[in-house]
Amino acid sequence: MSQTIIKERIPHEDLLCSGHLACPGCAAPIAMNLVLKALGPQTVVTLPACCWSIIAGPWPQSSLRVPLFHTAFETAGAVASGIKAGLQARGDDETTVIAWAGDGGTFDIGLQALSGAAERNEDIIYFCYDNEAYMNTGIQRSSATPWGAWTTTTPAGQPEASPKKDIVSILAAHRIPYIATASVAYPVDLVEKVEKARTIRGTRFIHILAPCPPGWKTQNDESVDLARQAVQTRVFPLLEIENGTEWRFTMDHAGEPVAPYIRRQGRFRHLTDEQIEHIQADVDARWAQLQRRVVHGG
Amino acid sequence: MKKVMIGNHAVSWGVQRARAEVISAYPITPQTQIVEELSDMVADGRLPARYIKVESEHSAMAACIGAAAAGARTFTATSAQGLALMHELLHWAAGGRLPVVMADVNRAMAPGWTIWTDQNDSLSQRDTGWIQLYCETNQEVFDTTILSFRLAEAVELPVMLVLDAFFLSHTSEPVDLTEPAIVDGFLPRREAKLRLDPADPHSFGALVRPDAYMEMRWQQQEAMRQALDVLPAIEDEWHALTGRRYGALETYRTDGAELLLVTSGTITSTARHVVDERRARGEAIGLVKVKMFRPFPTDALRAALSGVDRVAVLDRNISPGHGGIFAEEIRSALYDVPPDDRPVLFGYVLGLGGRDVTPAVIESIVDRSLAAPSPEREDLWVGVEL
Amino acid sequence: MSDSDLKPDAGRGIPPIAVSRITTEVNPTGSWKFIRPRYEDRVAPCNSRCPVGIDVEGYLYLLGQDRRDEAIALLLEENPMPAITGRVCHHPCEDGCNRARLDEPVAIHSIERRLGDMALAAPASPAPERTRDERVAVIGSGPAGLACAWHLAREGYGVTVFEKAPEPGGMLRLGIPEYRLPRAILDRQIERIRGMGIDIRCGTTIGDDLPWSALDEFAAVFAAPGAHVGKDARIEGAGGIPQIRPGLEFLKEVNAGARPDLGSRVIVIGGGNTAMDCARSALRLGANVTVVYRRTPVEMPAIPQEVKEAKEEGVGFVFLAAPLAVRSLDGNLLGLECRRMELGPPDDSGRRRPVPIEEGRFSVLADTVLTAIGEDCDLSFLPEGTEISGGVAQVDELCASTTARVFVGGDAADLPRSVADALGAGKRAAIGIDRWLREAGGDRTGPLDVDALRFGPEGNVSAARLRGTDPIPRTDPVNEVVTWDRMNPDHFRRVPRHEDHFHGAGDLRSTFGEVNFGLSERETLDEAARCLNCGVCNRCELCMIFCPDMAIHRREDGDGFEIDMRYCKGCGLCAAECPRGAMSMTREGL
Repeated sequence: MSQTIIKERIPHEDLLCSGHLACPGCAAPIAMNLVLKALGPQTVVTLPACCWSIIAGPWPQSSLRVPLFHTAFETAGAVASGIKAGLQARGDDETTVIAWAGDGGTFDIGLQALSGAAERNEDIIYFCYDNEAYMNTGIQRSSATPWGAWTTTTPAGQPEASPKKDIVSILAAHRIPYIATASVAYPVDLVEKVEKARTIRGTRFIHILAPCPPGWKTQNDESVDLARQAVQTRVFPLLEIENGTEWRFTMDHAGEPVAPYIRRQGRFRHLTDEQIEHIQADVDARWAQLQRRVVHGG
Repeated sequence: MKKVMIGNHAVSWGVQRARAEVISAYPITPQTQIVEELSDMVADGRLPARYIKVESEHSAMAACIGAAAAGARTFTATSAQGLALMHELLHWAAGGRLPVVMADVNRAMAPGWTIWTDQNDSLSQRDTGWIQLYCETNQEVFDTTILSFRLAEAVELPVMLVLDAFFLSHTSEPVDLTEPAIVDGFLPRREAKLRLDPADPHSFGALVRPDAYMEMRWQQQEAMRQALDVLPAIEDEWHALTGRRYGALETYRTDGAELLLVTSGTITSTARHVVDERRARGEAIGLVKVKMFRPFPTDALRAALSGVDRVAVLDRNISPGHGGIFAEEIRSALYDVPPDDRPVLFGYVLGLGGRDVTPAVIESIVDRSLAAPSPEREDLWVGVEL
Repeated sequence: MSDSDLKPDAGRGIPPIAVSRITTEVNPTGSWKFIRPRYEDRVAPCNSRCPVGIDVEGYLYLLGQDRRDEAIALLLEENPMPAITGRVCHHPCEDGCNRARLDEPVAIHSIERRLGDMALAAPASPAPERTRDERVAVIGSGPAGLACAWHLAREGYGVTVFEKAPEPGGMLRLGIPEYRLPRAILDRQIERIRGMGIDIRCGTTIGDDLPWSALDEFAAVFAAPGAHVGKDARIEGAGGIPQIRPGLEFLKEVNAGARPDLGSRVIVIGGGNTAMDCARSALRLGANVTVVYRRTPVEMPAIPQEVKEAKEEGVGFVFLAAPLAVRSLDGNLLGLECRRMELGPPDDSGRRRPVPIEEGRFSVLADTVLTAIGEDCDLSFLPEGTEISGGVAQVDELCASTTARVFVGGDAADLPRSVADALGAGKRAAIGIDRWLREAGGDRTGPLDVDALRFGPEGNVSAARLRGTDPIPRTDPVNEVVTWDRMNPDHFRRVPRHEDHFHGAGDLRSTFGEVNFGLSERETLDEAARCLNCGVCNRCELCMIFCPDMAIHRREDGDGFEIDMRYCKGCGLCAAECPRGAMSMTREGL
């Protein structure tokens, strides 16, 4: 029954082409495919530097069947604002303009432009596909890298010492009309959120966890399952926030223990049981905070 | 319609007449009045544009790039630190062949903090692929704003029009605001050959491998060269409509000159005055005003300067470790001139950080250039007292 | 320096900016892979567990595709009487259902019943063309005999069925009470089978009314006489007491329409389906009924649902007790002496053997005692030399006995004994007879690979596989049963099972009307949609959705998918995420 619903709820038109240059098992193209299916062909994509700069294909290729503008790392929010304004100036107020940025381009270098766009409530949808490090440059930590993770700049002897930046709360503080988290493991939920976002005007922010086999040191065929486990362990809860204050879960989160999720990833191999308990405690604390927001408003 | 206005507002009116469609800007002294005036124009309907009030100059340029890629006519303005902050995206606009027009009100670079004029901000962006046009008067500012859009869209390159802080930006002069209908005829709505269009989807700016990158840069360079021809052509049109033209290079009383002063920006007006004084005294002194710095009008400069005994270049800028930037560029341009026709070149560095360049300063330069057999060094700093 | 060094060759057509003009489809990224996915249809456990050999998963798949007529046709391909099995089968399919690991098994019996009723409501299809000269005799018109006749008729044979009883149906009619199987359903279902051109001669006992030699005119014989001889409960003192009766005899009487007076206290000895049927029938005749069973509820061979219904209707149970002796008290009253049992080590059946507890004796009063501890077969009519062992005929996997031309099946050859097992045996016999006759007629196609026809190594054979009538295209089928660990349960939502609607308990006495009303049509379709299609691609499209490389496409013929190996990078996500274990990864080049 559920699988039939998935088939009926996922639009059929493919706007992503084969032959793109993502690593095998990369979740980022799955996310892009689902998002573009939900948005349809009248969409323009703004693409700052990220893994997708490569996935989109070298000149003269493009892996997308919609217009795509490659831009500088820190500019997604601003360039997307400009594209929307430019289209409006040319009489096109219908085309959906999206920014499609990695975690580095969102949490770090692009945060200013994103904040500016969100504060102005630009009529764009900003997607962050989050693989939790600078993967395109070869796995360096970003402020989206979770505590305890190995990267090439946080070696196992001195792993990531800061918790992952709470980007969703940062965006919520901008009181934009719509924020959602989504997962490739829950395609219907993802597509429904994107479809909903498409009908809203103003800045919309959708955060998608995108497991990365080479960066997370996991098997190629585990990406979707990892994304699912991240949800079920409440490491990456699925939620919606309207107007920055109305927080809502969109999924039952089983609250499975994080240890199996952590243990299966090579980037956490050096962690002790005590350190994993620390992660569990952090997840629990964040979950408690989320629940308060869901109940009392954010 | 003639109005007395400050140079900054001359820019605003030029943008209004050009019917820019998307404006994105961030305030910085001494540019701010440009975008304040544009805000009013957008707010009261005189300019039906989208105005994006971004959070930085970097985003201002980014938004202009996005809007231009979507096919819109776009404008921004900045100065000094703001321009420097845009640097990366200046390359993006030029490499993307996007006809963004920007006014840079020349302001010296910090530290220490300064708001006064010199050209180091714009000249630091020399190699970003932008056309650079320097203005002398508020009328020229107004006209050049309109010409910049026309030129940018003709050769698909971004244009930076440059005016001196305070000496133009905050100084009132009468400006003849060409009637909208005339400007509309001269500058019709932009029609981009390629734009972000869901009906004709393309990607822009993807990874380019070594086998094609140079070909794209070659075509960018060709467009720059083309601009040297396009500017006079569109100025002919503008002249026919308004009676005004400026040229990439202007020669002033150069006939039989023994010494030619080479200037840009408002120093030119002061130098004109000195030239007139000297000519009145029978001295063979002339003036060459460089309006277009990029593309560099090499041939015109060679033609103007060959055979003259002495050339004094007045640089309100400095390339640290080398010399005044105009002087170095002109010296380089004159290398291919046969030795007998090659003038002795004096490169003066002056007026940095807004220091006044008075007629007396220029008089001293004239005297010094006529007296010395050759320059003591390539950068001759004027008025430095430690 | 030449001119061409200065100016790039215009012929390369490089534009001034990096604007795309082709897609990434020019990149053969499939060359990166070292493993590749493939679709491999496997076998759902319901199919493997079905003694009839029904493609349960297949017809549920077709229902899910809104192909209802094809679903019914696929069901009828294996089972001539789904309206009956949907009501009376003990449905081991549901015991195997993987969905039980998620929430509850699919209510397959309810769906089968509804489809069976739909098939009966639809116009009958014309009798198959007679394409074979041979006629086959079938002895017994129970489920085994009718199934064999039906399958043979479809193959073009002439079939004559000899039935001892006045009406056809065997145990379906004699042994199963009306409240479980309404006679109207039975009659219509048999009419349908008759309509296949099958000649059923009732009231004809082979070896009695007709000698065995009368069957010489038939090319082959299938003997499915059933098991009609009630086992002796060996109760001391029972001889000559008419109130102690074999339960089956009582059932036959009631099922023939009689309503005997059993008195107010009835004891039923046994824990099988016959015992339950006796108990519930006796209850309907107004008696208080107690079942005495020598083991515990866990070991009861009766269908659990029947036990549950019996309890709900008011039947009492005494477990771990066995009758020892009976005494006739004053009048018709019986005193039944029993002894307590306990469970010892397992016996041959794998169930723990009941062992008497000395001193643990007790007596109960009864007006009637019905014994239902199993039935034996009377196989005396079979030709001499037909090997019989353990009370049943010895046959091969296609029911051939040790006597040439003679096939035996149903209760006469099979243990366990159930309607479904009988139907499955009838089908196997039909296949065996057909093969035998073809070989006898000079067909040299060689031996049949029976294992290839089975649903999984343990399942029954599939007529659809044999006849090539499977309407579902199978991709690289692997005859392996899909267990839960091969499934990806994350894609399934919990959905409660639709339970049959029942006649409310209370006023059951004196009515033999059907107690189970089954599911509505809507509920049936919703229940069918609960099927997970274990091991079989049901076009859920998750492989497509999760393929990062857009390498999986719907086939142009609309059925299934094809993987574009030019682009598949071999990540394995499709196989890992396939909810039903219908994909696998293989090493590249192998």
